[in-house]
Amino acid sequence: MAIRELTLAHAGERDLSKLAEYQAIGGYKALAKARKMKPEAVVEQLLASNLRGRGGAGFPMGRKASFLAKGTGKPTYLCVNADESEPGTFKDREIMLLNPHRLIEGCLVTAHAIESQNVFIYLRGEYLDVFEVMRRALEDARKAGLMGDVTIVLHRGAGAYICGEESALLESLEGKRGQPRPRPPFPAVSGLYGSPTLINNVQTIATVPVIVEKGGEWYAKIGPEPSPGTVVFSLSGNVERPGNYELLLGSGLRELIYDLGGGIPDGRELKAIIPGGSSTTVMTPDQLDTDLDFNSVAEAGSQLGAAAVIVIDDRACMVQLALRSTQFYMHESCGKCTPCREGTRWMVQLLQKLEDGRAEQSELDLLLSVCDRVLGKCLCALGDFAAGPVVEYVRNFRDEFQRHIDEGGCPFGGESSLEGTFAPVDQHTHAPVAEVPA
Amino acid sequence: MSATELVTVTVDGREVHVPPGTGLVETALAAGVEIPVFCYEPRLGAAVGACRMCLCEIEGMPKLQAACTLTATNGMIVRTAQTSERAAEGQEATLEFILVNHPLDCPVCDKGGECPLQDLTFRWGPGNTRMTFPKRTFEKPIPISPAIALDRERCILCYRCTRFSESVAEDGQLVALNRGAESVIATFEDEPYLAPFSGNVIELCPVGALTSTQYRFEARPWEIQNVPTVCGLCPVGCNIQATTREGKVKRILSRNHPEVDEGWLCDKGRFAFTHLRARDRIADPLRRVRRRGFDVLSWDDALGEAAELLMQAQGRIVTALSGSETVEQAYALGRLMRAGLGAHTGVLPEETSPALDAFRLPLSAIRDAELEPVAERAPIVELWVKAARRQGAQVEQAGDALEGCRRLADKRNALGKSLRESERAILIWSGEEGAGGAHLAALAKELGFAGKPASGAFHLPCTPNGRGIADAWAAASDDEGPNPEPIGLLFVSGDEAAADPNVRALAERAERVIVNAMFQGLAVGWADLVLPGTSYLERDGTYVNLEGRLQRLRRAVIPPAPDELAWISKLAERFAVEVSPHASAVFAEVSERIYDGLPFGEVGEEAPLRTRSEAPAPQLPSEPAAEGKGLRLVRYRPLFSGPAVERVPELQFQRPAPEVELSPGDAGRRGIAPGETVTVTHNGTSLQLRARITKSLREGIVRIAAEHAGELGGTVEVAK
Repeated sequence: MAIRELTLAHAGERDLSKLAEYQAIGGYKALAKARKMKPEAVVEQLLASNLRGRGGAGFPMGRKASFLAKGTGKPTYLCVNADESEPGTFKDREIMLLNPHRLIEGCLVTAHAIESQNVFIYLRGEYLDVFEVMRRALEDARKAGLMGDVTIVLHRGAGAYICGEESALLESLEGKRGQPRPRPPFPAVSGLYGSPTLINNVQTIATVPVIVEKGGEWYAKIGPEPSPGTVVFSLSGNVERPGNYELLLGSGLRELIYDLGGGIPDGRELKAIIPGGSSTTVMTPDQLDTDLDFNSVAEAGSQLGAAAVIVIDDRACMVQLALRSTQFYMHESCGKCTPCREGTRWMVQLLQKLEDGRAEQSELDLLLSVCDRVLGKCLCALGDFAAGPVVEYVRNFRDEFQRHIDEGGCPFGGESSLEGTFAPVDQHTHAPVAEVPA
Repeated sequence: MSATELVTVTVDGREVHVPPGTGLVETALAAGVEIPVFCYEPRLGAAVGACRMCLCEIEGMPKLQAACTLTATNGMIVRTAQTSERAAEGQEATLEFILVNHPLDCPVCDKGGECPLQDLTFRWGPGNTRMTFPKRTFEKPIPISPAIALDRERCILCYRCTRFSESVAEDGQLVALNRGAESVIATFEDEPYLAPFSGNVIELCPVGALTSTQYRFEARPWEIQNVPTVCGLCPVGCNIQATTREGKVKRILSRNHPEVDEGWLCDKGRFAFTHLRARDRIADPLRRVRRRGFDVLSWDDALGEAAELLMQAQGRIVTALSGSETVEQAYALGRLMRAGLGAHTGVLPEETSPALDAFRLPLSAIRDAELEPVAERAPIVELWVKAARRQGAQVEQAGDALEGCRRLADKRNALGKSLRESERAILIWSGEEGAGGAHLAALAKELGFAGKPASGAFHLPCTPNGRGIADAWAAASDDEGPNPEPIGLLFVSGDEAAADPNVRALAERAERVIVNAMFQGLAVGWADLVLPGTSYLERDGTYVNLEGRLQRLRRAVIPPAPDELAWISKLAERFAVEVSPHASAVFAEVSERIYDGLPFGEVGEEAPLRTRSEAPAPQLPSEPAAEGKGLRLVRYRPLFSGPAVERVPELQFQRPAPEVELSPGDAGRRGIAPGETVTVTHNGTSLQLRARITKSLREGIVRIAAEHAGELGGTVEVAK
């Protein structure tokens, strides 16, 4: 399997955070090219590329851009979702740290395509190092006269996972409490300040310059048919060489874990794989031969999500894993809609009881019933992100859950380890983020 | 609307035709299907879809949808919990989740018995609980203001209260803190919820989380009666229900009149009713006894004494009215004083001009206007103006009536020009210089509003029924005598008149004084005879509000003494004047003369607004603008003032501070910073007040609450 780098190209050899270095590898040429094109022509290239959003939902980016309401008399906004916070995800951080100008160029090209003068990058508050890098890069781009009539605002979040949900991101950006909005209206019609708004993930926007440079058709041909292009896979958990790997979509899960990742350390056994971040369905070792693209992973019953592959070895108690995952979602539930707010808390209570060995048989059924009553009934996807995986942990590892009831305690007897996978709940409480000097 | 403009929606198999864009909850209702809701409240702006109670199945959509966030489109097929098992399961799930941490302390909860959560749980909810863990607990109750208590355990986080605070009252004081299951409602920075409309959140709360400190543990819903009436504390005339239990008013609720108040009340209207039980409330007639103060009199003796005083002063009687009398009461008093005792003088609360009848509009028209010069604020009018501003209307500060009217009438004035061009412009004005709206009517005529049905003008008078009283007083007799000097007898009708410094000044020139008041504090020291007064909650009758809308007042509780109409009737008998003690009969007489014979019974619970009528064309004020470089002083009567408010502990913290309001420009030129103590001078008299700088004032104008303005008037200077 070949590493194919588009968004991270040359990032290994050069310090691309420096404008000159980035320009030396052909940076900002796509911008110059795009600005000579008509905006609609750029959108056509994006449509032709069939680039699917890299934030998790995989919606074709060109189509999203073409949905933008026209002639409203209001400005059009571009928002870049850099609020990367799901357990297991760290690709956007790497892109922005190593190749900030690629994102900025992507912003400027996209802004040209959708005729927007205002770009907002909503950056995860805890990413202070990224903020500094991006701030310097933006300053350099500004000084070099690359911005044209576009203003890019770098906005730091305040520590809420929910603000990565696009409508909550918009609320937060408007200075309100970060809570999702009902849809319709969709952001393409009424987004930021009630104006047409395009929201895309960092990697999606960072891919745009390549598409403009080499053409949408070229891009559509690399990788498998419905999911072309590359994705930066964030490999974490119990592997020898965790890290970010930019691969063609359709690469094999086995190759990623064993060839690139070096397999499971210390001769332990692979127990489970979470392919796209903590919100995606857990996979089992017998699914190792799944290809990593949107459709193949979906056919395997899971989701590619944000391509955050978490490898779990045989030391992990799956009840504990489910508990930690749910604790995260309870902590991050915004509190707006009832099922998520109350359901996540109840799920945590039930899972804790199971883990402690105090649960009765009926309470395992109750847990599944509570999950079912959350699924598909919430205002945004967070409730589903919490409940969906729990159902799958139980389905795939039912025996282990059952043993917690039958044996009146955790069968690992305190020996289980979730090291390298999900952080314990006390680490969810983020330390106060240092204020950035003005 | 013709059928072609309607869309067809099928709800639970029933076809219904509604205008496109109708909310799905309303569409279902039109089909006779109730979709239960908690967070949905169209008056709070766009739906938020938070509670998930309204989950429905919509054909073509895979997931259950929150009906409140959707609008009717043609061909839509909706299945509610009545016919869809999935929707029913979704609703039951929502109720189960809501109840998981709800304390279920219904037996001791004020809301119990009239609680949407209780009702919906009874109808749609699970019969049992599957929750075995300890429920979430919070400190409770938290007094978020002297009038409101917050119980966070009962709260179901529908965000109605915070949405009201943020997007209706725009006070931004109620907020949600924390996240997820730890979310709580709080006031910003834990400051008390100090805002003129705060009490509305109690009524908006669909559970017992926000309760009235006045009503807590006072009554159960099955032992109360709600009497539909009208608030008598300001000229807006909000429609209310007075909740009574065992002959006492226990609380005031709104009774949504969509053209008048949209279901909102100010805190004065909601909380001031406890003045009925004030400690110095007078229940018996009193006669002044030198040294000892007052002696209690029997009613017979009191009426005898009153008749004697009136007889002695015949021809030299002055009547000072409050503006809170009912139409019937003012008419009866007018009959007694003017028909029975010859020609006598009335000091009406303030001028009221019928000229505005030609520019009449419902208050709700303010919301739909596009251009509004506003001078002055009145409780509910302020909410309508805010709603207009949210819809994009241009709201301009217009100065005081005298100067503003002349300026806008000038053809060269830019704002005046826009007003002439607009089809939906509304003037909102008040102030003593407005000649009761006559100047404003002249301006409206000058601006060409007569031919524009959506353009109009409102004059905000000081008193709740000034217009009705003026008409009734005029209808009582044709004679009008000269002002007597000295005054033989001053008859003071009502508490506002008794508290008015101008009326007190009249009393200095009067030989004898009869005071009709609710509170002893207002009668002490100057009344020779005191006749107990009643409140608007204790009378039957009618009021005319600032729109010119005739509204029905109903007696909610029996007053501790006979009401005014009863003893006026008795007293009138002694002067051979026939006046009925019954409001209905008096109204019939008044109605014959001024309301086209409208029967009392048809005044209605949701009174309509009479159509515009032609009126004599008034004149624009002609006096030259005030000379000199000073600032024009606008004295205003603040919402939270007056004898009733002074007697309500919960409202004390809302009373205005001794402040002078200045525009930023005027303050800047004088080097005045917010909060500084400044000296306000006029004709040698001066007052020390705190400076408050507000963008809502035009330059050249300062505002001081009448109770803090002392003798100041006209043009003043403000200096550090």
